[in-house]
Amino acid sequence: MTGRESGSRLINLTVNEQVHEVGVAPGTTLKEVLRRDLGLTGTKSGCDAGDCGACTVLMDGRAVTSCLVLAATADGAEIRTIEGVAQGNDLHPLQKSFIKHGALQCGFCTSGMLMTCIELIERNPEPDEQEIKAALAGNLCRCGTYPRILEAVKNWRSFEGVPLDTEPFDEHERDQERDLDVAGRGVPRYDGPDKVTGRTLYAADFKLPGMIHGKILGSSVAHGLIKRIDTARARELPGVLAVITAEDVPDRFYGVSPARYDEQILARERVRYIGDEVAAVAAVDEATAQKALDLIEVEYEELPAVFDPDTAMADGAPLIHPENPRYAGNVNTAVEWHFGDVDEGFAAADVVVEEKFVGNRVYQCPIEPHATLARWEHHAGKLTLWSSSQTPHYLRHTLSRVFDIPQGDIRTIAPCIGGGFGVKAETTPLDFCAVVFARMTGRPVMMKYTREEMFTHFRGRHKQHIEMKLGLKKDGSITACQSRILLDGGAYTSFGVITAYYAGSMIPTLYNIPSYKYDGYRVYTNLPASGAMRGHGVPAPRFAFESLMDMAAEQLGLDPLEMRLTNAMQPETVTCNFLDIRSCEFVATLEQAREATRWREKKGSLPPGKGIGVGCGGFVSGAGYPIYRSKFPHSNALIRVSEDGLAASLHIAVAEIGQGCNTVLPQIAAEELGIPYHRMWLVDSDSVLAPTDLGSYSSRVTLMAGNAVRMAAAEIKQNLLVVAGGLLGTDAQGLVARGGRIFCAAHPSVGLDWDEVAREAFSRGGPVTGTGHYSPPPNLGGPVKGSAVGTSPAYSFSTAVAEVTVDLETGYVTVDEFTDFSDAGTVINPVTFHGQVEGGIIMGLGETLMEDTLVRSDGSLVNPDLHGYLVPTVGDTPRIVSRAVESYEPRGPFGAKEIGEGCMLPISGAIANAIHDACGVRVTELPITPEKILSGLRKQRNEAKS
Amino acid sequence: MSLNDFFLHRPQTVAEACELGLKHGQDAAYLAGGTDLLVDLRSGRRSVAHVISLAELAEFQLIRLEDNHLRIGSMARMVAVSSSLEVQESCPALCSAIDAMAGRQIRNLATLGGNICCGVPCSDTPPVLCACDADLVMLGGNGERTVAVRDFFLAPRVTVLEPGEVLAEIRIPARSDGSGAAFQRFALRSGSALAVASVAAWVKLDAEEIADARVVLGAVGPVPIYADRCAQELVGKLPSAESFAAAGSIAAEEARPISDLRGSEQYRREIVEVLAARALEEAVTRARGGGR
Repeated sequence: MTGRESGSRLINLTVNEQVHEVGVAPGTTLKEVLRRDLGLTGTKSGCDAGDCGACTVLMDGRAVTSCLVLAATADGAEIRTIEGVAQGNDLHPLQKSFIKHGALQCGFCTSGMLMTCIELIERNPEPDEQEIKAALAGNLCRCGTYPRILEAVKNWRSFEGVPLDTEPFDEHERDQERDLDVAGRGVPRYDGPDKVTGRTLYAADFKLPGMIHGKILGSSVAHGLIKRIDTARARELPGVLAVITAEDVPDRFYGVSPARYDEQILARERVRYIGDEVAAVAAVDEATAQKALDLIEVEYEELPAVFDPDTAMADGAPLIHPENPRYAGNVNTAVEWHFGDVDEGFAAADVVVEEKFVGNRVYQCPIEPHATLARWEHHAGKLTLWSSSQTPHYLRHTLSRVFDIPQGDIRTIAPCIGGGFGVKAETTPLDFCAVVFARMTGRPVMMKYTREEMFTHFRGRHKQHIEMKLGLKKDGSITACQSRILLDGGAYTSFGVITAYYAGSMIPTLYNIPSYKYDGYRVYTNLPASGAMRGHGVPAPRFAFESLMDMAAEQLGLDPLEMRLTNAMQPETVTCNFLDIRSCEFVATLEQAREATRWREKKGSLPPGKGIGVGCGGFVSGAGYPIYRSKFPHSNALIRVSEDGLAASLHIAVAEIGQGCNTVLPQIAAEELGIPYHRMWLVDSDSVLAPTDLGSYSSRVTLMAGNAVRMAAAEIKQNLLVVAGGLLGTDAQGLVARGGRIFCAAHPSVGLDWDEVAREAFSRGGPVTGTGHYSPPPNLGGPVKGSAVGTSPAYSFSTAVAEVTVDLETGYVTVDEFTDFSDAGTVINPVTFHGQVEGGIIMGLGETLMEDTLVRSDGSLVNPDLHGYLVPTVGDTPRIVSRAVESYEPRGPFGAKEIGEGCMLPISGAIANAIHDACGVRVTELPITPEKILSGLRKQRNEAKS
Repeated sequence: MSLNDFFLHRPQTVAEACELGLKHGQDAAYLAGGTDLLVDLRSGRRSVAHVISLAELAEFQLIRLEDNHLRIGSMARMVAVSSSLEVQESCPALCSAIDAMAGRQIRNLATLGGNICCGVPCSDTPPVLCACDADLVMLGGNGERTVAVRDFFLAPRVTVLEPGEVLAEIRIPARSDGSGAAFQRFALRSGSALAVASVAAWVKLDAEEIADARVVLGAVGPVPIYADRCAQELVGKLPSAESFAAAGSIAAEEARPISDLRGSEQYRREIVEVLAARALEEAVTRARGGGR
């Protein structure tokens, strides 16, 4: 409890019809009372500034952000939280509607979203779209479930009195028929009921007896040497249990790529950005820890700092990692690739287009702040960690390396993750410090970031400075492409080596590019480190490329969509940079998008201010190689059938970050086993209960974990078919398992119930289990340094068409309609598939039009909050048409590939091209703000005058 | 993240609230809806030892039409104000300003008085109140005083309120025949975003001619800017796209914007020019009896 005792008081709160008497300090918020004192953790904490809406509850019937209500002023109020929405086991119709419409992904915004919706429907039971948008403007969803939320709210009444089941709500979501029973159907999310009731536990929701809290002190200067740290006053503060500096933690470098381990838990000598971790405190509560931080005195010798890659590379620029000679000129990673001969290619070209582009420092901005809870078992020397990590395996690997604890003694439990998008893919200072404190104090330690600390830790998108050049023949066929990219890396490597390679490697996958040259330099600056974000390194170069395609088409007098068709990638191709493409329906995505949008009628014929534009994209379905050298299979699965044969549990250590793997993987298991989806249990994300999986990054889970799951299920099925063959007196070869039966393919009436066979198998041989594992094909990639990055078993392809309105007076862009045709192979779950596409479009829209983290001249952040850093709201959501163009990927489970990241890539190009179509302004620097457009329009007018 | 220590007072009477404010002076802050103050206290922008909640002062929450004035208690919640039929009828421009700001959860907490007293340059309601020539009634140790909203704002986050003085009521002249007001704002996303610039316009028509006008600019100066030359330009003119555009370009000159993350000085002037013309057009429509 915070505050002066003299100011504390007892208040009465009626929460979900139950009366509570709670002692509160003056500064205690309603949110803190609900979450901490009453254990109602369904109310989430996302920003502590009223910007995100995750903590919305009803107070005397009004939706309010509980982070901005002092509990003492709520004395006597009637509060309703998400836990009070369902009546016992009977979900509110709105909750059912959310589940059935797939109106949730990571679930972190869901409680707040539902509470705001409940206020709305209680005063207006049948709101129209505009009314819903107006009501929900204060609830941010970073997964971009807005289109589905709109539908769920519009249709909520159709769920009155209807029981919840696991049947798909809308079978028409299926785009293509395949001979599949469970896979391919839009069954509701496995985690839906828990997420709409607030029962899902995220890392910050855990509470253990004796739990203490830690906070980290960051550097106040962008570049400097630590002269002195005095922690004495902090140590003396009552309630403080431990204060640590570099001397108290292992003197070991860590990072993501073994070739560039350059981070330390706490700065030893040098600080390299504002926020670089210097010291940390553990105390009985968060407020005390925060107070103790303020008592730590740090004296710095300030050094000159650099904040952009150009300056950082210049002669005489201050070195950010002077101790390591490999980083001369502050160059962290240099890529110099040349495939084919671009000089010849450009010489053969009829037209060469060339332009400079600048990307933006986009932050992933999940609504859930990072959190970690660490527990150390002294007697056994074992560590348990509940961390909001999308890569629990790498977390375990890193902790093991840094602390010299065998991996087997570390148990990682990934709770549900409230959105990741890459920012939760690396081990954070929270993880390290929590472990240090847990070992020092013997108490469980909770550590979490504030919203500002999230921005300070960053690991968002690299800002890229791109020079790109494209050569084409008169018919529009590409002869050569060349790019030089400077990536602003910030102070540390993070995922940056891989980013630098991805920025180059993903360009040749969409079009036939005979010659390609890429020079990429990732440069250290005194800014928070950039890392991996959805579409890793590719959105900005793809934006540049797709813009250049349109610029070239204009010069050549060709239709830009047709010109893309001229160059489109074909199946069974090895690209100029040695990427092995198998399934590919890229041509079909272009053709179908052209027809669906009536492209030919619209392109070039829309009234002033209205525009249409095309962009394309594609991505890997999982990285071909792990981040560190390892021969372990990338994905592993274990399935166990219950003794009665009526259920099966899938044990798998992937991380559900909202993308839907906890639904898709049980579907794959059920399909292969031949049982209905509702018989599946999922035991996920616990390193003791499930074998290793590399985690949720590089869009790898559906294909890789899916293959492992299918293999595990196939082992069980094979076993059961043999048993069934014996029981039926027939050859197992002719039997199939489907829909809970095992029967003769030739005579379907001859068969047995699946569970009966499974019981028999258990009776004969004990536990009925299957294991599966998956590793990508060996030796992917070419004989070039770094060509491992970009390799993958399979690639996705997509075409997106944006239709926009530009306000010619203000420059404001409204994206009216977005059409996406994606080849993601076989779609395992249409609801989660379209949810990913829609979410990618909305995130891409934000990245294109409004998002940027800004830096002051001293290296401090201008907008580390959700009112300065704008992400799209429900009102910014266009009408979205998402369609699957299914290929059959031979390397994927039932033919499946990725969708989650590829869907981000066409967006910026499509919108930029549509804006150009609408008003003739070509903006080459992201985000494309109204101000840049208006400035372009002014330039246009001036040119017309002169 | 926890709030720092402070002592929370919950006075039951205005006199008590004023007394506490006077006693603690600069070390105290009045708490209305809390949507601004609590964020400032948490971020360290403000630090006070005493927070004085005005939530108990029920009389500050009334909204009524009386003596040809819309009288809104300073503690009336934003949603209550914009959903009040009296306000919708008498000052629809205020409803536009409120409905465009923040999210519903914030408007359910925030109060009209708080939005005024925080003195934040990009607040949405002050330009409307200025354009509508509202008066602000304040209570303090020395009793009641009324100031024209025009004289209320001194600098960013600085107003004429003295220590121990609270805003009690906002008085807006009821809409009269032939007059109309409108509010236009521009932000970088569809909802829940601070204004890049805003313009409130009030016009009085005499037959078809503009007899009187007030144009007030928000988020483009330290305080709401009265674009008096712009208003003057309109008097005696017939409402038309041309006259609005001409007025808009004068308003752009009168703006005193800064450059920040939401827009450059020049861009803000360009936006003011557009918004002023749009607000004037809408105000004229209302003056003619159209619009809400």
